[in-house]
Amino acid sequence: MSRLYGDPIEVWVRDGHPAQFVWRDRLYTVREIQDHWVVAREWWKTSDADPGERRFWRVGAAAGKEVGTYELRFDTASGGWLLLRAWD
Amino acid sequence: MTRPFTHLHVASAFSLRYGTAFPAALVRRAAEHGMDTLALTDRDGLYGAIKHVIACHEQGIRPVVGVDLALDKGSSTPDDLFGDGLPSGRRAAPRHHTGHGTGHRTGHGRGTAAEPARVVVLARSHGWAALCRLVTAAHHAGERGEPRVTPGMVAEHATGPDGEPLLTVLLGPRSGFGRAAAERRDDQARALLAAWRAVVPDLVVEVCDLYGYRDANTAARMIGLAESMGVPVVPTNAVRYLDAADHQVGNVLDAARKLVPLDGRHLDDATAHAYLKDGAEMARVAARICGGDLDRAGRLLAETRRVADQCALDPVEIVPLLEPEHPRLHLPEAGEDPVPLLRRRCEEGLARRGLERSAEARDRLAAELGVIEKKRLSGYFTSVAGITDMIRAMGVRCAIRGSGAGSLVNYLIGIGEVNPLEHGLLMERFLSEGRKGLPDIDVDVESARRLDCYRAILDRFGEDRVACVSMMETYRARSAIRDVGAAMGLPPHEIDVIAKAFPQVRARQIRAALSDLPELRDSGLNDRSLQTVFRLAERLDGLPRHIALHPCGVLIGNSTLRDRTPVERSLLEFPMSQFDKDDVEEAGLLKLDVLGVRMQSALAYALQEIERVENRKIDLDAVPRDDRETYDMIRLSRTIGCFQIESPGQRELVAKLEPRTMHDLIVDISLFRPGPVNSDMVTPYLETRHGFREPRYPHESLRDALRETNGVVVFHEQVMKVIDIMTGSGLSEADRARRALGTPEGRAAVRAWFVPLATENGYAPDVVERAWKVLDAFGGFGFCKAHAAAFALPTYQSAWLKRHHTAAFLAGVLTHDPGMYPSRVILDEARRCGVGVLPLDVNRSGKTWLVERTGPAGDGLGGYGLRVPLSAVRGVSEAEVDRMVAGRPYTSLADFWERARPSRPVAERIVEVGGLDALHGLRPGEPRWRPGRLTRRDLIAQVGALDRGSPAGAAGQLPMAFTERVTPGELPEMSEAEAVEAELEILGMDVSRHVMDFYQDLLDALGVTRARDLLGQRNGAEILVAGVKVATQTPAVRSGQRVIFTTLDDSTGPIDLTFFESVQAHTAATVFGSWLLAARGVVRRTGGRAVSLRAVHCWNLADLDRVWRAEGLDAVRAVIVETPAPGAGVGGRPIEYGNGFRVSPYSDNGAPPAARGERLPGLSGEPQRRLWHASSGSSGPSPDR
Repeated sequence: MSRLYGDPIEVWVRDGHPAQFVWRDRLYTVREIQDHWVVAREWWKTSDADPGERRFWRVGAAAGKEVGTYELRFDTASGGWLLLRAWD
Repeated sequence: MTRPFTHLHVASAFSLRYGTAFPAALVRRAAEHGMDTLALTDRDGLYGAIKHVIACHEQGIRPVVGVDLALDKGSSTPDDLFGDGLPSGRRAAPRHHTGHGTGHRTGHGRGTAAEPARVVVLARSHGWAALCRLVTAAHHAGERGEPRVTPGMVAEHATGPDGEPLLTVLLGPRSGFGRAAAERRDDQARALLAAWRAVVPDLVVEVCDLYGYRDANTAARMIGLAESMGVPVVPTNAVRYLDAADHQVGNVLDAARKLVPLDGRHLDDATAHAYLKDGAEMARVAARICGGDLDRAGRLLAETRRVADQCALDPVEIVPLLEPEHPRLHLPEAGEDPVPLLRRRCEEGLARRGLERSAEARDRLAAELGVIEKKRLSGYFTSVAGITDMIRAMGVRCAIRGSGAGSLVNYLIGIGEVNPLEHGLLMERFLSEGRKGLPDIDVDVESARRLDCYRAILDRFGEDRVACVSMMETYRARSAIRDVGAAMGLPPHEIDVIAKAFPQVRARQIRAALSDLPELRDSGLNDRSLQTVFRLAERLDGLPRHIALHPCGVLIGNSTLRDRTPVERSLLEFPMSQFDKDDVEEAGLLKLDVLGVRMQSALAYALQEIERVENRKIDLDAVPRDDRETYDMIRLSRTIGCFQIESPGQRELVAKLEPRTMHDLIVDISLFRPGPVNSDMVTPYLETRHGFREPRYPHESLRDALRETNGVVVFHEQVMKVIDIMTGSGLSEADRARRALGTPEGRAAVRAWFVPLATENGYAPDVVERAWKVLDAFGGFGFCKAHAAAFALPTYQSAWLKRHHTAAFLAGVLTHDPGMYPSRVILDEARRCGVGVLPLDVNRSGKTWLVERTGPAGDGLGGYGLRVPLSAVRGVSEAEVDRMVAGRPYTSLADFWERARPSRPVAERIVEVGGLDALHGLRPGEPRWRPGRLTRRDLIAQVGALDRGSPAGAAGQLPMAFTERVTPGELPEMSEAEAVEAELEILGMDVSRHVMDFYQDLLDALGVTRARDLLGQRNGAEILVAGVKVATQTPAVRSGQRVIFTTLDDSTGPIDLTFFESVQAHTAATVFGSWLLAARGVVRRTGGRAVSLRAVHCWNLADLDRVWRAEGLDAVRAVIVETPAPGAGVGGRPIEYGNGFRVSPYSDNGAPPAARGERLPGLSGEPQRRLWHASSGSSGPSPDR
């Protein structure tokens, strides 16, 4: 079962991929990148000439021993990261 | 060092409404990336293939060519394996886990059931012919514009006679196999792959990762399946962009192609990654697809190399003209050896044209034949002669045009009727040894018979050997705004208003036009909400959007034509090459241009009317070409309707030039071009012609070459002669130099070559300098004299007919509409020439304009009238007209209704414009209608009764007596103004009275000067004029301004007005937006009989009339003395040519825009038809906005 969150998070990037992130005051280390994809923003709904794209990662990460699956999103226009989803 | 990556799947802009980059740009980028091979695999055709091959050749890159084809859904296999064939319900749900945000969008096109499955087919190194034939077959099998293949069709073309593979088939993510793999239906995917492999020997799986959701996953699955079955795999990037930034344009094109508004569901690409990535990026993609397994990624890249090597084509084989020395041409087969055949025909021609004893002709013939035979073109000439003979035998008028008129061979074998020796025309301008490329023979035929000619050519040579040439219609401002507006979801009527507000300019000028043009500046279109629309519309600039039949090109090849070019069907079912006219030439295919010319149809029609009415047969080609009366008419600029010399500018020029011979007409036509106007040839020519100035020659030796134009260089041929005389290099070399004069670099090169050679030949430095100045000013402009000579003939013939058979000639002009003026202007001209205009009459009107004798038989001038035809009625169908004509005569409206069976609105319109007046003795407008008399309105009511009385399909159910009964005078008769209003609305012209008649009182009250009194006005006087707008033009003029030329007609003659940029701020919107104009202008005398006005201000006459009626004359006076608020003129940087010629970016180009009419005083409704000529550079916003 996955749950939706959409919480802003802080992420450290290495080689173009997330390596560590802080979510709800805990530091997670990315162990594995399971999937990565990109979605262009629906520019015609905004007034920006180029609203950029959103980059998604599904990663295996752990704050302690237990590895969970998390989905992270990076918005190129705002430069902000969200934690979208987590699987228990 | 590993060998560079090759993109094997690349769509250019020639993938219509899909691709965004042109082949040359893609090739350049590939070269920048250090690639040595590049494929072009456009959707549905090879439209860009020749351009790709040429670009590759230039960049030293090996070309690969393929095509991206859609699979037929109802494919021949019974289990529907190949088509997309997926149970549609299985796709939607499981693909995204939640509907959260925009993260997991479904099927961004690659999986949607609406789009057919696609495969990419590449030509292997010797597979070009097989690829061409496969594309032809695909177009033959599918609907027009939607080619489809089955695996069987692909298999049929994929191997040669000995089983050697000719084509490589790539199954990618959009193929049935790719889709099945993405859906995790492995069994189906394996079955599909096996089925393809069974029929196609060279099969490859193409994987692709555009960083979309699950792209990498699908690719990995496809690799697994392919490897398990031993099928090779290559990575591609399914390229459709040059840069990632083109993604938005791609989105708009997706929406435009699918006719849907922009929405995530409809887009083919969810990401912006389908651009031409460099090798390093592609290596990363390959590694990603292989889950980081670099060995495996390396194998994929090696496989890509193998396919690229196998498919690299030899550019010269496909584009023979890349080897200019001995290009391999593909000439038509002749039944016998064409060389002696052509010689024999020329010999016969010498006798027929009475030139046997002319040494000049014999020498010239020997020289021409020498070149023709050396180039092995004899067969082309005999084939073309065969075609023109055939066209004439069909009774179709046919004339040569263009440089081909300069060839004696063409004259002798009857392709053309212009004797080049008589006019000093040069063969080298048409065909010479040194000239790269192929000669182009152009013939003009009657426009109404052009397609008949095409059919006859097809029948004669067979479909395998002939194809029409195509052309790409590209996005311009209006079409771009329409497609972007629709994609952005703007309401259709709003899009229409915005698009029509723009003149016919290039799409990339949209935002510049908004700020430059006064009529757009104040239009409210500058709104911020439209900025995105305009920004994107500009990005569509020049992209191909639609393929169409070229207006004249016909390819004449041999039985291998279908190996050289893919062929599809045009809208009218003609076989049409996917190559445009440039491609065709580069590909070494010979073409003949058969252009439909309306004037030829008009001339043919006039001759036919003369024969019908006078019982006289006229051989127009045999008419003496020195008729004094004809030239007198031309010199008085009474040339409306005549070929080439009817525009306001030409009417001014002929009045100044006063032509007296054919040669004068040739000069006149050549002078009326932007080039001569800009390098100021007109004034010196006129001054020496009329003896105000002595002719000057740079050197005595040039006197012969330049005498015909009094020392002024007008023709291409003269430039060639000057260069030849001064350098001694020969005419062939001289023509090469002349061509180079078109560009600044070319001029520098020619100068460096010309000056030393001429000096060496003993010309003094100042003479050489003077001669060079002349050549330099000439630039690439000037006119081909052969072309002008070919044009001058129909010009003279049309003028001759107008002078001697006015009614028949104008009937031809009205029927075939060859010129720039709308019908109502031609009718005015008829009235001024003493030809009556006869109203519509169901018992007398025909399908086309008929001449009727209205008085005693004369010499062809007096006593004739023109009868308005039934086809002029708005909305009438051809079948209705045929029935109406066949059923004549009619005894009553009921009889007409019964037998001609017109639709109700058509019947009503015919009554409204008086089509039954004669039959029922109605006379609206004449002695006032009295109660108790039958009226048009009564008849309209009767049409309604008849319509109700005859249920659709049944015949004669009500007794005649019932519907026949009309109570006369129940409804009032139409007034004169209403009648004219109806005529404008229904026929598009004022037949019974001139529109301006209704304003005469106002004009008198204001003291407006009439056209017939203009000649009596002194130069510099400021006067008021008024009239119906006949034409507006914004031609290219010397100053680089956008000047608006407007012609008004006030029923006494034309009035020419010029609006310079300084007054356009307060006048442009009115000039473009109104039909009836009043203007204040300053008289400018331009010649003995020529007057024009420099406009100062103008008003909509209908508005003035309203003010006059409501508030009286003083109020009108107050309006017209008001000083206009100062405003900015037209902006925009003039386009500057190398020789200093400047042209406004908004001068004329393209087709005429739609125009709006005005209302008659006090009446509602407005004429919808084309009532005046408007050149396309101008239009103005719709007043609605």
